[in-house]
Amino acid sequence: MMTTMRDMYLSDPMTMRQWKEFLESQGIQEFRSGEVEPLEETIGLFDEDDRLVATGSLAGPILKYIVVRHYDSEHSALFNRIVGELVARLAERGVTHYSVFTKPRYIASFEHVGFTCLARVERGGLLESGMPGIDTYLEHVRDLGGWQASAAIVMNANPFTLGHRRLVEAAAHDNEHVYVFVVHENRSLFTTDERLRLVCEGVADLKNVTVVDGGDYLIGFAAFPAYFIPSSKDVIDYQTRLDATLFRDWFVPALGITRRYVGKEPYSPTTQVYNQALKDVLEPRTKVTVIERRQVGQEPISASRVRRLIAQGDVDGLKGLVPSTTKIFIQDHLAQLQMRI
Amino acid sequence: MDITHTATAGTLESSDIQVTLAPGGDGIDIDLTSDVIKQFGDQIKASITQVLHNYGITSAKVKAVDKGALDIVIKARTVAAVQRALDIVDQPKWEVL
Amino acid sequence: MAVDSERLRRTMMFVPGNNPAMIKDAGIYGADSIMFDLEDGVSLDQKDAARYLVYEALTNIDYGDTEMVVRINGDDTPFYDNDIKAMVKAGVEVIRLPKVESAAMMQRLEQKVEEAEREFGRPVGSTNLMAAVESAEGVLHAEEIAKASDRMIGIALSAEDYTTDMKTHRYPDGKELFFARNMVVHAARAAKIAAFDTVFSNMNDPEGFYRETRLIHELGFDGKSLINPRQIEMVNEVFTPTQKEIVNAQGVMAAIKKAREQGSGVISMNGKMVDRPVALRAERIMKLAKATHVIDEEGNYLGK
Repeated sequence: MMTTMRDMYLSDPMTMRQWKEFLESQGIQEFRSGEVEPLEETIGLFDEDDRLVATGSLAGPILKYIVVRHYDSEHSALFNRIVGELVARLAERGVTHYSVFTKPRYIASFEHVGFTCLARVERGGLLESGMPGIDTYLEHVRDLGGWQASAAIVMNANPFTLGHRRLVEAAAHDNEHVYVFVVHENRSLFTTDERLRLVCEGVADLKNVTVVDGGDYLIGFAAFPAYFIPSSKDVIDYQTRLDATLFRDWFVPALGITRRYVGKEPYSPTTQVYNQALKDVLEPRTKVTVIERRQVGQEPISASRVRRLIAQGDVDGLKGLVPSTTKIFIQDHLAQLQMRI
Repeated sequence: MDITHTATAGTLESSDIQVTLAPGGDGIDIDLTSDVIKQFGDQIKASITQVLHNYGITSAKVKAVDKGALDIVIKARTVAAVQRALDIVDQPKWEVL
Repeated sequence: MAVDSERLRRTMMFVPGNNPAMIKDAGIYGADSIMFDLEDGVSLDQKDAARYLVYEALTNIDYGDTEMVVRINGDDTPFYDNDIKAMVKAGVEVIRLPKVESAAMMQRLEQKVEEAEREFGRPVGSTNLMAAVESAEGVLHAEEIAKASDRMIGIALSAEDYTTDMKTHRYPDGKELFFARNMVVHAARAAKIAAFDTVFSNMNDPEGFYRETRLIHELGFDGKSLINPRQIEMVNEVFTPTQKEIVNAQGVMAAIKKAREQGSGVISMNGKMVDRPVALRAERIMKLAKATHVIDEEGNYLGK
């Protein structure tokens, strides 16, 4: 079969319909904007009659919506062409490390083209390929100090608040050393670099705390692609367990993580699910400690409350919610931040 | 000569090999995926290493995904990856070909 | 014009320069010429990789008697110089330049090729050239292009870009290419080089392919550019001489032989003089007949 590779511009309604119809015919039903909007590039392989037979997309360094027509005799050749082309396009952008989330039954197909499975749970797995890989990342983190045992906190810190600060203080008080991993993603109000900077400044006085960029690995479970999970009620379970499993299988052994600290979220059911998943997966080897939230006024301190005040331009209202470092940053960049909202 | 940044060449299609080079490592460290690793693994690694040595590269991390490439393909892909990794795509080292 | 202008060039198979599987197998289909493509068949970010792959193939794989051609990138691209150097160093038989519009473009190429031949210690003049015309400008200058250099072995029409330039597109009957095909084949004949027709890309229309191949055969083209090995046999079939042509050619060959044996400078057959074009055509028909196996070693007609 002669096939032709072509770019598919999903912004074009006709192309979008063709792409969707093909995916639906192959059992993919989920096209939430959270899944489709991050797609930066989509490619398709077309046969001699101009029918779409395989497709794949890129969302940053993540390969998504890779689907090859079922029962095609050249299934693996088409699969390899799609993956190869996506990888070449990433290389062209200077991206040499990439990952994919997929159904368990396709894990072997990706391993066959050089991917390494980092974590798998009942409904999906996470694989990576290219360089540098997770070993290099963890080696780099380990080389920051070479501590034998550490506690860990993973936070988005969008932005860093006194609530976060309390969590770090508690961990720093009870442990010889604490890693604070800042989730790496740029969909938040504050960019990864800004969030990293504010966390660093906010914990600068705590000498046994090391702030680390979460890299390609700690990206926030909600960002894990889930378009291939048939039932939406299973998505959160898959995302949280996969995130916890990745942490257990790679971060815990490489960095000697003995405890993980999380904040209590009485109003966020997803965070409650996440905290429970962490307990289920990490314990007993790594103890999961839930810290009560600090209250100011009638409601607990939260980053979302801070973002609301930014939207309202109420800098005075930040008092008691964020450390001075965060407050100064917000004051200096208020107009810029408001523009992003 | 040292590799300055990560670069890749080749595809995952049949008869090809995808070669990715990254700085670092102690010596030439090759991570090879291949269906014929038992029979040809050493030979594939030797071909890659030879090209790197021709460029005077003595340490690099290499990831190679082989799909049944001939020796000449391994050489061509490694050359392309090295030229890219050394940022000399426009000034090929003709004597290495 | 280069030597060996009577070489069989019925089929020139395009092989994308960055595809190892196709490059590896290119020799098994029996094409008269193989054209490794560094231009349109290779995406912009893979130009360098394709160049090394084709280099390695040319220097290591035995393609037998097949004429090896490489289509380099145009002289307005940043890949042009390095493509020339790599292909000359590899010792390719023919470099094909796309989008040629003037003799000067071919002469510039010739100069670059000669420099590369000196740089890499290849015999000067060992690399042949051919041109593809793909625009109104190129077609109108077909004659000067065909005669641009002693290294020229052929001129090809590339219809995709040409029809776009002409504000038309390809039609099944080929009327839109009538003028261009005639220009190209006339230029080739005047310069005594080969004329190649454009590709036919719809693999689901064998009828149309046969129709087009018969047309260009009638016009006098040497052969056709192909994108699929399945088309080789179809072209060869159209180019296979008839029994009548073969019998006549065998007569001419016998007359030539007889004249040689008698030490006569004049060749005659059936009371008429056999002049050079007739002799060349007979030679060509015998070559075609042998290549398509319609005669045996002794010259007995075996039928199609």
